[in-house]
Amino acid sequence: MRALVIVAVLTAAFGTARAAPAGPTDTPGFTKAFSCSACHGRAGASRADAVPVLAGMPAWYFKKAIDDYATGRRPSPEMEPFAKMVRTLGVDEIAAYFAAQPREPSPLGVDRTASVNGRGAASQCAACHGDDGRGDQAKGAPPLAGQPPGYLLNQMKLFKADKRSPGDENLTKVKALMKSIDDTTLSALAAYYSSLGR
Amino acid sequence: MARMTRREFLRASGVTVAVSSVAGCASRSGAPTAAATPSDLAPNRKGRRVIVIGGGWGGATAAKYVRMQDPSIDVVLIEPNKRFVSCPFSNLVLSGVRSIGSLTFGYDGLREQYGVKIMRDTATALEPDARRVRLGGGFLTYDRVIVAPGVDFQTEQIEGLADAGDRVLHAWKAGPQTVALARQLKEMPDGGVFVLSIPPAAYRCPPGPYERACQVAWYLKTRKPRAKLIVLDANQNVISKPALFRAAWQAYPNLEYRASNKVVKVDPGARAVTTDFGDTVRYDVVNVIPPQRAGAIAVQADLVGADKRWCEVNHVTYESVKTKDVHVVGDATIGIPAPKSGTVANSMGKIAATAVVHLLNGRPAPEMPPINTCYSWVSDSEAMAVINAYRIENGKVVQIEQKLTPGQSTLYAQHATAWATSIWADILA
Repeated sequence: MRALVIVAVLTAAFGTARAAPAGPTDTPGFTKAFSCSACHGRAGASRADAVPVLAGMPAWYFKKAIDDYATGRRPSPEMEPFAKMVRTLGVDEIAAYFAAQPREPSPLGVDRTASVNGRGAASQCAACHGDDGRGDQAKGAPPLAGQPPGYLLNQMKLFKADKRSPGDENLTKVKALMKSIDDTTLSALAAYYSSLGR
Repeated sequence: MARMTRREFLRASGVTVAVSSVAGCASRSGAPTAAATPSDLAPNRKGRRVIVIGGGWGGATAAKYVRMQDPSIDVVLIEPNKRFVSCPFSNLVLSGVRSIGSLTFGYDGLREQYGVKIMRDTATALEPDARRVRLGGGFLTYDRVIVAPGVDFQTEQIEGLADAGDRVLHAWKAGPQTVALARQLKEMPDGGVFVLSIPPAAYRCPPGPYERACQVAWYLKTRKPRAKLIVLDANQNVISKPALFRAAWQAYPNLEYRASNKVVKVDPGARAVTTDFGDTVRYDVVNVIPPQRAGAIAVQADLVGADKRWCEVNHVTYESVKTKDVHVVGDATIGIPAPKSGTVANSMGKIAATAVVHLLNGRPAPEMPPINTCYSWVSDSEAMAVINAYRIENGKVVQIEQKLTPGQSTLYAQHATAWATSIWADILA
């Protein structure tokens, strides 16, 4: 900041425009991720219930999600065009940018009782997503901790109805699991995983 | 924290002497009049300054994103309104689903978190040769200016509209008119007729009038089952998401849609409008959305094209094709294949800000495409959407893809609310 100010003063003094020193603009992916903040919050720190936090999302999962949206494997009229756009802009750079942001849990409150109930029902989820909900790349399981409860619940319901990545054989088990769980328990699981890592 | 008055702004800017000739301040005897020698309201001695004219979706975003990227640049936002009122979601105020308060935000975040200087005033002229903006009795100098004036209404295009005053509401700039129209709807007798007039494209928010039709029809169906909504559309068909809107209207037998019915005259005394076919339609409540053009400053500064309505801009920098160092964003622009939507204005604000920061630092502006998302509420609980993604090709914005939601749902309504929550923060917080 101080360096910027000094350069600005020098620039004014000598009356010539010159390149500014490294600033936030030079961070790879910084400006390319601007579009995302309209829905996903500043630097991916979503404040909204139905939109996932991208800040701190591991690059492998970000890229998988973009790939699945862009190809239509994960059907979403809202994300498919933007996923294609991310690919034209450079998915690696944008994935690395979000992965480098400090992980910022959703600021939305979760129901405490539901969260406690969710903890009790989470053992099967933990097998892949980990006890701390941080996920496991080897198992293709993304981090769940700190995501907004509404987003987590919506995804579980989409799995349950086979509307998320329909026909994906890697997800057969998780979908069967979701079908075996009633909606109240899904809400409890959403509350529990949202509460983790805060 | 209350908004800065001009006097407070001047104090904060370190200006103490030149104030005497500012309009509205008592002038000393013998002092030059404001008109004769406009004074520099805040001399910019420190470095580079960007002036943003208009604190709506495009302008407020641009002001924030300039400061966010280069805090050494002085940013002054000129905006006459004390508060930001969101046009998106304001149709829900008509149906009583949301309050106007829930769509109203202050500019404190821009000032306190980003150091944007806010002047509650109206820019009256642009002097590009002198690189200054005229306002009040003086001027402000700039290195680059971002003009985000939104739209103004061409009331002269409809006979009787200019003289009708508050008796014929547009409610197309969210605020007091939105609240007044909601009240008129509420007070309308059951069995009454609500007439909604849609102007010819291009106008702000292509799906907005059709969403409004849904909200009014939903309200009438729920509260005044014998009342009727007549939509008079100057266009040949629903111009945005036609299949989705027509599907939604299946639930509203009280909605009568008449395409190619351009309202040319309004008579508040007789409570009737006349179309270009000469048909007269009587109303209990009328809502005339007038034809539109870029906001006044853009016309005054001759940033508009041959049509005298909209401003053509460079697709990468948003610099006016007519005037150097003057950028235009939001609904006032034309030529970029993106709708006049809030999301696009927000997007343009970021891109123009990034271009300005780069150019002021002697760097080429990066090529950044805009995005669009338009959610429309078709009832109190369901929404649908259109999404557009773009890329830059040979310096021009081209569309990658447009997608529609397959239908309306409560899930898309959740997404609509999430979008609004996020983008309001993106603009102001």
